[in-house]
Order: sequence, then structure tokens, then C-alpha cells
Amino acid sequence: MSSLPSAPTRVPFWRDVRVLRWAFQLVVLALVFALLFWLYGNYQANVAKSSIPTNLRFLDNPSNFTIPGNDLDQSAPVRDAFYQGFLNTLQVAIAGIVFATILGTLVGIARLSKNFLVRTIAAAYVEVIRNIPLLLLLTFMNLAVVLQTFPRIEEAWLPLDLFVISNRGIAIPWFIGSAPILLAVGAAAILAAWATGKIRARISDATGKPARAGLYAFAVFALIALSGWVALGYTVTLPFVDDRATDGGFRLDPSFFALLVTLVIYTSSHIAEIVRGSIMAVPRGQGEAADALALKPGVKMRLVILPQAFRIAMPAVGNQYLNLIKNSSLGATISYFELTQIAQITVGNGSPAVPAFTLTLLVYLAISLITSVIVNFFNRRLALVER
Amino acid sequence: MKKSVALVGALAAMTLVLSACAADDTETAATTTTEETTATETVAAAGSVLESVQEAGVVRCGTRDALPGFAVLTEAGEHEGFDSDFCKAIAAAVLGDATAVEMVDLETADRFTALQNGSIDVLVRNTTWTASRDGGEAATFLQPNFYDGQGMMVATGSYASVEDMNGAVVCVAKGTTTEGNAALESSRLGLNWEVRSFDETDLILEAFIAGQCDGWSSDVSQLTGFRSAYPDGADALEILPEVFSKEPLAPAVLDGDTQWAQVVNWAILATIQAEEFGITSANVDDFLTSEDVSIQRFLGVEIVTDDGSAVLDPGLGLPTDFAYQVVKQVGNYGEIFEAHLTPLGLERGVNALWTNGGLLYAPPFR
Repeated sequence: MSSLPSAPTRVPFWRDVRVLRWAFQLVVLALVFALLFWLYGNYQANVAKSSIPTNLRFLDNPSNFTIPGNDLDQSAPVRDAFYQGFLNTLQVAIAGIVFATILGTLVGIARLSKNFLVRTIAAAYVEVIRNIPLLLLLTFMNLAVVLQTFPRIEEAWLPLDLFVISNRGIAIPWFIGSAPILLAVGAAAILAAWATGKIRARISDATGKPARAGLYAFAVFALIALSGWVALGYTVTLPFVDDRATDGGFRLDPSFFALLVTLVIYTSSHIAEIVRGSIMAVPRGQGEAADALALKPGVKMRLVILPQAFRIAMPAVGNQYLNLIKNSSLGATISYFELTQIAQITVGNGSPAVPAFTLTLLVYLAISLITSVIVNFFNRRLALVER
Repeated sequence: MKKSVALVGALAAMTLVLSACAADDTETAATTTTEETTATETVAAAGSVLESVQEAGVVRCGTRDALPGFAVLTEAGEHEGFDSDFCKAIAAAVLGDATAVEMVDLETADRFTALQNGSIDVLVRNTTWTASRDGGEAATFLQPNFYDGQGMMVATGSYASVEDMNGAVVCVAKGTTTEGNAALESSRLGLNWEVRSFDETDLILEAFIAGQCDGWSSDVSQLTGFRSAYPDGADALEILPEVFSKEPLAPAVLDGDTQWAQVVNWAILATIQAEEFGITSANVDDFLTSEDVSIQRFLGVEIVTDDGSAVLDPGLGLPTDFAYQVVKQVGNYGEIFEAHLTPLGLERGVNALWTNGGLLYAPPFR
């Protein structure tokens, strides 16, 4: 009994839980790095043995292919082709996000409708679409809808003589004018509209009159867009069929159309469920309070329920946006010239596979991370500040 | 603390995934690294594909399954066609057994990757020999087994000439030289084609039938094959007279293994030389008793001279009777051509022997 410790002795370090935890983590980390290093070493050794380039110099080589819908010729560098693929990916991703959000919200609300038919149709839509593999949906959309249902160019549908719809694409009326100016006018109009909305909100806060921010903002937007149009001499061209192609207007590539529609209906089926869940997560008292104030159902939904529901839905919906962006790579299977398709083509034409696909991978990663940052920004802005 | 535990967990999971991914390649990767350390200078000497093929008893041949005439899958699940026969010829030469082939179906865009990562030993898949593929894809191209050229197929009566096709939609296979040739021809003639690339020829067929494409551009041999199998009948399509590129279709092996490259090359050349000698699979046994020294050398027959007898072993690493096996089990070039390509309506053209004004010429077997 004499050896009873009198004071708390230090636990030896090999039995110290804190040390052990750290040591374990470091060992795992070291193993992971060692594995990665070994794999990379193997890769280096193998490509060096077969003299495959590992740098990005291939970007300056002529691309040897052309991309439908733009003027790059086959002598343009691979770099430009990649950039065009990036733009095409962005194009379908941004359009897809906008439409999927709108459609998803509508279907999500419809799921909770008191009308049996609306509710059932919305439920059927969600259950059918979200349970089909995306690739299958896309293949079906391309082969069955665009190729077989849309008419041949010789028998193109010409609704109102404004559009030309055929399996060579959908041509819509479009502006004549340089794209940067068009964008600048559009951006100015949107900024002015946003500022108007803010001012209206402030006036409303000060005076108590209805803000009608949307109405005012739209009026300002239309005014600026119209005056810009007149001042800068924009005209609209209508598409028409010229022999076996369409001319005039703006032609949406058939594969773009198939990919966009597929991504929108697929993603909207997921967003609809998120919106439905978020609406149901808004405390019942909120709706009852709105009812007590005798707000009309539309107003109640727009001003009371949805703003709170979106707050809840935001992170999950952002996730769907990321999925949509990544899923756009399936466009390569139906010959839409987005990033993956460009990467595949250029690798088939002599660019080294590993650097080309690594580059593609990093571009997708960058797009997704930037989207994440934007979603998180709005999420923080919208989040309830609880005290 | 919790967070970092989760991090470690995630890293560990990643490790698992990575090692699982790597498992496929571990064998080849491991062998190459050991080679690297032991024999950096003499890369070609060690670990030849020839040895590994002999050990495995099977040649892994990169091919395809839906190119009429060249390589199609029969109902019995066998590969059949012009390219498939050359795969078999290689197996007959190396292993003495034309059936010892594992046909590996590859997507067009994946074919070089498959060669690079060692999942096939040789690529016989309608592949055009170009400088940048020789250089950039780590492929060594060998004796072309078919000299082709790119052409254009259209619906009968829609165009008389390639030059009429202004603003046309031209559909091609993805990741091929066809894309570049079509783009080049379009700009050369000032025609502004819209070139659409598809993963698989089935998809081009769908698009073509639906009227999304005005023209289908590919090697003439391929177009002939597709035309013969067109659902509306071959007469619904015509191949325009213009040929606008050189497409030497050649087998390819991975860079850095000279021995294996020579083996494959001479297996192909044996079919050509056999035709020049007039040796066919049917009459090859009669030639075994031939007195002609060139033929004796070619077939690996004992050559009796005053000083004794000898069998020519060129030192390629092949059995001395490899040419006999190739001809006996597969046939000569002309036989292979007639079996698979003549039915499609393809003429010998430039693919005739040099003695008939064609391009096929085998170096002497001595």
C-alpha cells in the first residue's frame, strides 16, 4: 500500500487519449498521401515510358474539329474549343436552373393543392420522373421526342410564323446586334429595375402605401430595354426555312433542347419535393395567422408561406443546382457540345487523355464551387437571425 | 475534435475507394515500376507483351461489335469480320491457335486509352494511322490492313456532289479523324457544314433515318458496310464519288515494345505474302512440299541443302511455322477480303497486291 500514488501522475503519452487521437489521424493522413503519391508516381512512370505528354501544351494545338452553332474553325486551338464547351455548359446549366426552379416550385405547390386532380397529377409527375434514370430520360427525349416526334425540316412546324420547329432544332425570333451591347443594355435594365424595387420598398416602409415593387421594376426594365433598343437600332429577325436549314432568328440546337428539357423536368421533380417539404415545415400558425387576417390564398402563399419556405428550402435546392450542373455532362451522349463532349472529342483527336480530363474535371469543380458560394451567400442572407 | 474524426473517416473512405479503383491496374502498374528501377535504359527488353501473351495463352485484341464487314457480333456471340480475322491471324501466328483471341469491344473514343493502360495487347479497330496519334497517343502503327479514304453518304438523289452540300448537317463518329476531315473539307470548299459528332454509329443511324443529318461522313469502307445494312435497303442511300482524305487503317500496339510490334507486323504481312505466292487456306498443305526456297522459308519448312538442312527462324520471337498457321487457320489477305468485304460491294482498288497495281507489298520473308 505504500506505492499508492499520492499526487495525480502524468499518463504516459502512449496511453494519452489526446495524443493517440492525433497520432491515429496523422497515420491515416500519411497513408492517404503515400497512396496518392504512389499512384501519381505510377502514372508518371507509365506515361513517361510511353512518352505521353503530361502538360497542358496540347491546348495550343489546332482542335481539328468544329462546333455546331459557332464560327470556330478546325484550326482554332483546343483552348478555344474548351472555352466554347465551357460556355455551352454554362448556357444549359443557367437556363436549366432558372426553369427547373420555376417548374419545381409550381409542382411543389401543386402537390399541396386542395384540388384532387392537380394534386394527383403533380404527385404522379414527381413520382414518375424522379424514379427514372437520368441517362435513360435523356436518351428517350433525344431519340423519341426530338428525333421522331419533331418533324423533318421539310415539314417543319411554323407556329404563328414566329418559330421554326423541326428535328434540326428550334429557331426563335432574335435580335440583330452585337452580343456585348445586348448584354450591357440587359444588365443596365436589370440593375435599374432592382434599384427601383429597393426605392419602392423604402417608400412603402416610410408611407405605408403598397410597394408594388414588381410592377414598378418591370415598368423600368421594359422602358430601358425599349429605349436601348430604339436608340441602338436593334431589329428582330424572324427565322425561316431556307432549303434544308433555318435562317434568321436564333436556332436552339436540337441536342441543347433535349438536354435542357430533360434536366429541367428531372431536377424540377426533385425541387418540387423539397418545396413541398419546406412549405409543410412552415409552422402551421403562420398560415392560420394569414387566414385570420383574411388574406386571399394567393397572397397568403406569396407573402407569408413561400418566403419562409424558401428559407428552409435554400440549402437543399442549392444541392439540386449542383446536381443539374454536373448532370449536364450527360449532354455528351446526345452530341451536345458541352465540356465533356469537347474533352472526349479532343482526346480522340490526339490530345493526351489525363491532362485533358483533369482540366475538364477542374472546370466542373470550379463551376460547382462558385455555385455553392452563391447559394451559401443567399442562404446566409435569407437565414433567420435568431437572438 | 468530432470534426476532425469525421475528416479522418472521410479520408479513410477515400483511401478505400482509391485503392479499389487502383486494384484493376495494380498488376500492370507494379510491374512497370519495378522495370523502371531495374531497366530504365533497356525499356523494350524486359517484360515484353509477347511473353505475357504466351503466358496467358490468349491475345487481347481491341475491336468493335457493330461495323458491318469489319467486325460484327454474330448471333452466336462471336466476332466476325475483316478486322476480327486479323486479330485471329495474330493469335495464329503467336500462339498457333486462331481461336485464342479475346475480343475486347471498345468505344471509338476509348480505344487509345485501352491500349495505353494495357487492357488490350493490340488494337485492330479501323484506326487511321496519323502522325499525332503515333506521337501523342503512345501508339505504334503497323502495316495497314486496309487503305481507306473518307467519303460522304447521302439519301439517294438528295445531292449529286459533295460541293452541292452547302449548309448541310454532316454526322460523324466522335473522336475520329473523320471530324477533322469533314471540318477541313467544309472550309476548303467554303460550304459551312454543321458537323455533329455521335458516340456510336447506332446513334448516327437513328439521326440519319429521322432526317437530322443530310450527310453521313466516314471511311468509304464503313459507309459501304452501313449502306448494306440500312433498314430501308441499300438503294435508299448513295455514296458520293468524292473521297477527301487518306485513311490508312492500321493495327496499333503500345509504344516501347519493338519485339511485340514486329510480331504483329509480320503476322499481318504473312497474309499479304501468302496471297502473292498464291497460297490459300485450302491449298497451303500442298505447298509444304514445294521446292521453291522462298516458299519453304515463308512456311517454315525444312530447307535441305548440300550442307544439311535448316529452318528459317527470322528471330522475331515467333514459331518458325507462324506464316503456315496464319494461312492455314485464317487465310491469305485476298481470302479475308473476299469473305468479308466483297459481299458489301467493296472493290479491291488500292488494296490489291502491288503486282496488280495496288499498295499491298510485303517485305521478303528471308
